[in-house]
Amino acid sequence: MKLEIEQLSKRFTGNQYPAVDNITFSMQAHEILAFVGPSGCGKTTTLRLIAGLERPDQGTIHLDQHIISDTRTFVPPEKRNIGMVFQDHALFPHLSVFDNIAFGLRGYTKKVKKDRVLELLKLVDVEALSKRFPHILSGGERQRVALARALAPKPTLLLMDEPFSSLDAHLRLEVREHIRNILKASQSTVIFVTHDQEEALYMGDRLAVFNQGKLEQIGFPEIIFHNSGSRFVAAFMGDSDFVRGKSIPTGYQTELGILKQQNDYSPGTDIEIAVRADDIDFKLNKHGNGRIINRFFRGAFNFYRIELDSGAIVHVFKLHTEIYQPGERVLTYFNAGHPLKIFAR
Amino acid sequence: MFRTEGLRSNRWRQTTPIPKIAYLAGWVALLAVIPVIYILIRALAGDPELWQRIIQTRLIKLFSNTLLLVLTVTAGTSLLGVSMAWLTERTDVSGRKIFRWLLALPLAIPPYIGAIVHLALLRPRGGLISQWLEGSNLAFIPLPNPTGFWGAAFVLIIFSYPYVFLLSGAAFRSLNVSYDEAARMLGRTPWQTFWQVTIPSIRPGITAGALLVALDILAEYGTVALLRFETFSSAIFVQLAGRYDRSAASILSGVLILLALVILYGELRIQGRAQFTQIGSHWRPATLIQLGKQQIWGFLALLFTVLVSFIIPVGLLLFWSTQGILDHQTFSGMQIGSRGLVSFIYNSIWSSGSAALLAVLFSIPIAIYVVRYPGKVSRLFSRLSQVGYAIPGVVVALSLVMLVNRFLPFLYATPLVVVMAYVVRYIPQAVRSSESAMRQLSPSLEEASRLLKRNAFQTFIQVTMPLILPGLLAGSALVFLSSLKELPATLLLRPAGFETLAVRVWIWSEEGFYFQAAPAALLLVVISIIPLYFLLRRESIFKQ
Repeated sequence: MKLEIEQLSKRFTGNQYPAVDNITFSMQAHEILAFVGPSGCGKTTTLRLIAGLERPDQGTIHLDQHIISDTRTFVPPEKRNIGMVFQDHALFPHLSVFDNIAFGLRGYTKKVKKDRVLELLKLVDVEALSKRFPHILSGGERQRVALARALAPKPTLLLMDEPFSSLDAHLRLEVREHIRNILKASQSTVIFVTHDQEEALYMGDRLAVFNQGKLEQIGFPEIIFHNSGSRFVAAFMGDSDFVRGKSIPTGYQTELGILKQQNDYSPGTDIEIAVRADDIDFKLNKHGNGRIINRFFRGAFNFYRIELDSGAIVHVFKLHTEIYQPGERVLTYFNAGHPLKIFAR
Repeated sequence: MFRTEGLRSNRWRQTTPIPKIAYLAGWVALLAVIPVIYILIRALAGDPELWQRIIQTRLIKLFSNTLLLVLTVTAGTSLLGVSMAWLTERTDVSGRKIFRWLLALPLAIPPYIGAIVHLALLRPRGGLISQWLEGSNLAFIPLPNPTGFWGAAFVLIIFSYPYVFLLSGAAFRSLNVSYDEAARMLGRTPWQTFWQVTIPSIRPGITAGALLVALDILAEYGTVALLRFETFSSAIFVQLAGRYDRSAASILSGVLILLALVILYGELRIQGRAQFTQIGSHWRPATLIQLGKQQIWGFLALLFTVLVSFIIPVGLLLFWSTQGILDHQTFSGMQIGSRGLVSFIYNSIWSSGSAALLAVLFSIPIAIYVVRYPGKVSRLFSRLSQVGYAIPGVVVALSLVMLVNRFLPFLYATPLVVVMAYVVRYIPQAVRSSESAMRQLSPSLEEASRLLKRNAFQTFIQVTMPLILPGLLAGSALVFLSSLKELPATLLLRPAGFETLAVRVWIWSEEGFYFQAAPAALLLVVISIIPLYFLLRRESIFKQ
């Protein structure tokens, strides 16, 4: 199984900008690919184009060597053998859990149907609920039934559209671990949409970061996080702050001092360095380069917000024992054990 | 810049196929507007001399009569409806749960039956109250003249206020107590809160109800004819039934429709906005106002309204019916040849039933198209299909007489034309029910079905249909109820010998046989209560 998407675009009538703008990528069998990006970035539209719920304006979608969508072909959703878990779960309220899961099993004998449904009920651990109706299930149970229903016809590809967004925060962590185990156990090929970076990092074998209809970067979580391809990815995925500076022969000259690092830019280039709260540190110093404006207590850590003299804002982690008051002047400096990501300005 | 943009959009525009449902919806919208367009064309193509004569002799009088009645009744129903809703929803007046039901039940009584009771009681000579006053030597007490403007306005107000009552009651119910609390915390007294927060928030509900009443009054024939107050509807009826003058009738109808379209336009705009007032998840009911010693006045106001608009009319019909059935001569008068009450019931039910079924069937493509493919075209279709609200029964009749004669002569003088008239006139009610049912259905359910290997049609049958069925049934109950009560179009279009309950009640009472008409009228009310009960149970104010 292989999904290949080439130059896929979609603009909705009445909108000036395309919702999906010239997207190309491919994915392999048994992989979980997480689409992540802010709301309105095109991730859900891309998902719906793959499902066949929207028609693309241009581009090609191959699934398993078949063209399922291009300028001439449009295979309707019911003929694509793609499963989907919806944001609101979309369990049919007039059907029991059993009948919901059996809904996609058309053309099989009763016996085969029953066996397959029981198998799935067991897989998602809701055997006891088979006769219940959706409205009395809990959020987590609905989630698992929706997954079972989508997996029942053994789809070539499973799409999940923000499936955890309707769950309470505390439930979400528990459910997503359970769901990821099920997906891996069933060797499913999955595209998972979320607007939550942390969830994407947890769920995805690989990540695809979307912004304004474009695919900004696709790759393994570590690469996306530590070697962001664009300023947007660094800001969105890693909660990075940006410190401005200039390229010099030995590294980069900034407000926080000189960062000694392999330099790909010609001297004098204006650059920005993406820094995370664990990449920098500070100490109290009346003649420093900034001042503390706030402290946030995070249990094991104190999280400090610092305004540099240029007006730029950076954040720093300290141990929970290190407490300083807002207003104190500090000297902030680089303290990363790895190269930092540089972007030209 | 401009040029590249142009090129770009050209490359992007791939022909998205028009969904098949759009064609079906288009046909329905077309069928719904043909009668109006035909009448408007006929009116415009009318002989200029005739136009001039009508403008000089009739138009001003009819216009002022009609407008005066519409404004008075609309104002009266708004005042009465909102007060009743406020008493039953926001105060602790006793018996309010029962009153809520009793206040809605006059919807089962067509105003012309109300007018019959009104006349039977208050007629100067022969009216029951008039006779009783004379018999008791109290004849010096002046009785109000039951006919004319005030009679018609009175009858129409007491049988039309439930529309406003229901809509403003639902609006009161959906108001969140936190608005009230916020206003109080910002320093408003309860009285200021009521005028500055409560009333503005429920205004869309009140206005929507009032405009529906206005459309109804424009269309009303039976009441104004019985009480001899001439409006457009009754004038058109006379032109058609008495003088067979279709040209004059067309011209009057054209003017009437224009008036109605203006009101309908306002109503549609408000409908669009009213959708946003919904009960949120943090909704808490408002605290009831403690009336204390004033409670008795609230109770009496409710009791009086319910007595006048429901208990007295139904009680009298019941009394007269028993008397009529016991009295052999009156009873035999209820048989027309070999046909009796049973055949009237049968005709009423099958004609209204088929209209309900057809109207709902036709409304489905419109509802699916406008809800699932929102856009200018689908909204236009939806609005066009609601034009029926603006075509009074007499105008539907006129237009169908001419259209059927010309294009479907084999249907002429069959009961099917009556059914067609009901469908044209009441399809808007079905469209609204079906649309709101579709709106409550999450599109992801249909999408899930598509991804589980059902095509569009299978999805409709297996998923959409079972889930919107309650909404469809409500729509058909509404159309059934309206068709059952419909009078002018039935009178004008029915073939000889085709008699419904409404027709029979009318003929008997026009001849002055009020008591003979009572059983048929009572049956009409009782049969109407069945779909009405089903509809009211769905209303938020009857759910606890």
